Amino acid sequence: MSEAAILALPAPESVANRLSARTAEVEERVREAYAKTLQPRSSAGLALVAVGGFGRCELFPASDVDLLLLVEFENQIPPAREGLSQFLQVLWDGGLRPSHSVHTVADCVTEHEGNAELTISLLDRRLVAGDPAMFQWLDERFRTFAAKRAAAVARQLARLAEARHAKYQNTIYHLEPNIKDTAGGLRDLETVRWLAALQRRGEAPDLESAFNFLAAIRIRLHEIAGRDQNVLSFDAQEALSEQPAALMRDYYRHARQVHRTARRALEAATEQPGNLLGRFHEWRSRLSTPEFTVSRDRVLLRTPKQLPPGLSLFEFAARHDLRLATDTVERLAGFTPQAKWEDWKLLLALPRPSSGLRAMQEAEVLAAALPEWGHIECLVVRDFYHRYTVDEHTLVAIASLESIGDARFAALFEEIDDPALLRFALLLHDIGKGSGHDHIEASLGIARVVLERLGAPEPDRATVEFLVEHHLDLSKAMTSRDLHDRATSRVLAERVGTIERLKMLVMMTYADCSAVNPQAMTPWRVEQLWQVYVLAHQELTRALDAERIHDAAGVLPEQSRFLEGLPTRYLRTHTATQIEAHCELARQLESRAVAIEIAHERSVYRLTLLAHDRPALFASVAGAISSFGLNILKAEAFSNARGIAVDTFVFSDPHRTLDLNPPEVDRLRGIVRRVIEGKQAADKLLRARPKPFVSSRAGRLKPRVAFNNDASEASTLIEIAAEDRPGLLYDLARAISAAGCNIEVVLIDTEAHKALDVFYATADGRKLDSALQDRLKNDLLAACSAS
Amino acid sequence: MKKIEAIIQPHKLEEVKEALKAIGIDGMTVIEVRGHGRQKGHKEIYRGMEYQVDLLPKIKLEMVVPGGRADEVIRTLVAAARTGKIGDGKVFVSDIADAIRIRNDDRGEGAL
Repeated sequence: MSEAAILALPAPESVANRLSARTAEVEERVREAYAKTLQPRSSAGLALVAVGGFGRCELFPASDVDLLLLVEFENQIPPAREGLSQFLQVLWDGGLRPSHSVHTVADCVTEHEGNAELTISLLDRRLVAGDPAMFQWLDERFRTFAAKRAAAVARQLARLAEARHAKYQNTIYHLEPNIKDTAGGLRDLETVRWLAALQRRGEAPDLESAFNFLAAIRIRLHEIAGRDQNVLSFDAQEALSEQPAALMRDYYRHARQVHRTARRALEAATEQPGNLLGRFHEWRSRLSTPEFTVSRDRVLLRTPKQLPPGLSLFEFAARHDLRLATDTVERLAGFTPQAKWEDWKLLLALPRPSSGLRAMQEAEVLAAALPEWGHIECLVVRDFYHRYTVDEHTLVAIASLESIGDARFAALFEEIDDPALLRFALLLHDIGKGSGHDHIEASLGIARVVLERLGAPEPDRATVEFLVEHHLDLSKAMTSRDLHDRATSRVLAERVGTIERLKMLVMMTYADCSAVNPQAMTPWRVEQLWQVYVLAHQELTRALDAERIHDAAGVLPEQSRFLEGLPTRYLRTHTATQIEAHCELARQLESRAVAIEIAHERSVYRLTLLAHDRPALFASVAGAISSFGLNILKAEAFSNARGIAVDTFVFSDPHRTLDLNPPEVDRLRGIVRRVIEGKQAADKLLRARPKPFVSSRAGRLKPRVAFNNDASEASTLIEIAAEDRPGLLYDLARAISAAGCNIEVVLIDTEAHKALDVFYATADGRKLDSALQDRLKNDLLAACSAS
Repeated sequence: MKKIEAIIQPHKLEEVKEALKAIGIDGMTVIEVRGHGRQKGHKEIYRGMEYQVDLLPKIKLEMVVPGGRADEVIRTLVAAARTGKIGDGKVFVSDIADAIRIRNDDRGEGAL
């Protein structure tokens, strides 16, 4: 296409003339054909009416010519038919594409269920030939009909627009848009004009420059293709402009204005008048708060002069899946929210944040809150696969996590601790596109700046940066690596580091692939990605026990002694500050048997303890914690080469025992110490606790216990998945200890009533033999089902 | 003219494409398929449980080449796609009666 001359767009001011000139030319030919064929057959009671685009005098070079043959009586239709087919023949032979219908006046002023097109086409009507009295009759009766039925017609228009927008994924940001039917296209513009005409509210909103722009493109598209072709394809973009990207930015700007105006008009037109009381109730919707009013699923500000702090408005919209009212969008013009990291996390941690992000995008607040977003707004990056602009791709990716089709991935997403981090990483993953450099490098650089500015804490930052930096790794592996080669999973596991990060990266890849185009996430791809996940997951589980720290580099000698022999996972899941604190606890062990630290972190508590390893240590501590009615969510137990156990328990406080009684924290510490020192038996503590009520919900998880002797050189891997319940961890750990096994490594996770436990155990320093495995399996299954 | 259909491992696609390009074969159709042959899927262990994976993701290549070049193309393709392990795939060859280029009605080998 490069050597071809650019076919510049017609000047905006010439567009209307071109369209009316084309209309006049076609009209001339239609009249001639009418005079030759239909007129001689019947003089009165027949009229040829131009409707639709022809009626509006806006015929594009290859548009259909919409015609209505108006007859006085039904029984005129059969005799008219022969003349009509001759008439159409003449037009067809002349290279026109007539699109015709035959109706009586009565037909035209009747509502047709499922065929609103007739009514709508009649909004633009003009006599071309035939009996003027007939046309006048139609004109008068249709005026009355339209005035009476304005609200119903508006609702039909709204339904048609909705279906049309849905067909094009409800977005204007297509890389190759259909400029007639996509949201923000010419059809939306006509919808605005029709609504204005129906309501006789005076002039339609001023969309002249948008019309001239879109119409100029459509004229050229028809000329290039020689037919009614309305897709602004990559080839056409190149044919029309030396700078296709600039052309497209102009396109999106106009389309956005049209789309917004159309939505506003449709919203206003479909409002139910209702009675005063009804309106009052609606106004006081149950969702309304002191700051926001919800009316017809739209958010309005209670005190319009005072804009909401942080991202609270968008958080509210996301929480209830609402859109902003037009008035709210207008009030937000020029608004820059003061949003810090905590505000973003609050918004992105909601189950369905995408409606909040959409609201921000729509009100142009997203680029104000996150100036870097401006880089990718309406940005076209052309390749064979992507269907949307970069900003739209990003929002679609985030939304794709709100309706995950594949059950395995849906469950996997539930297991992610902090989905806000994943979503924030998605928000930034392509933000460096269009910089002219490698987009991963550029996105990562921008992510660092943004996270710094927002004041994100170090662990959050590390996770987001990791996800942005590696967001293509898995899809590359899917297509270019032999997944069943152990080296592939080793490399992936090494790069990803922890199971937690693997889950996030897998879901990031899922979202990114899903947002390329509506069909991109094929079953083939889903299967490939799942394979990558399973293999890397296996590798990381294996590495828990198998890969130990040896001669840690870059730390003090004392720290190195402490780290020696801990799993490498420990280094990946702890910050330098935490490691230092643990070393400090290890120092305390010189003067006492156990060192304990309990920290309150937002909604959970974290208990870290260091002690010289002894039989049933882990089980006893789990029991002591459960005996306080606390709910263990996560736990890890490792030990280093010197036999020091490092155990971490994260638990919630469902009865607010510790929250309301601060001295209980000290008592918990004391009890944990006593059970470790053997001065108190954990089972006695637990016996005193009332049995928790366990609901017998249908579809409870069937407990699973699996042993694997191949995962590690020295230990047996025990994987347990079961319905969680208070005290479960204690029962499981005790069963393992009671069978004479030593627990080497533990990784416990619970997600939505599901406990996912990994134990590495040995018996007398060796792997568990099959007899012991069978016995232990029964004990563990019994522990899972006990309540 | 021969039609060559090859089922290969997904990660071998780039290598095979490069190898074919090196001997002057540019045109081919690539299809993402799922299936199994004698490999009959495999067992996958996830969270300690074994799962049977029946349909494995594979890539199917289709190309039509002049009869005289078929052997060379097949040799190149097989060499590039081989890992020596089970699941490497298969190649099927069939005769083609005619080919037509839609743009200009070229026929036979001239249309390839």
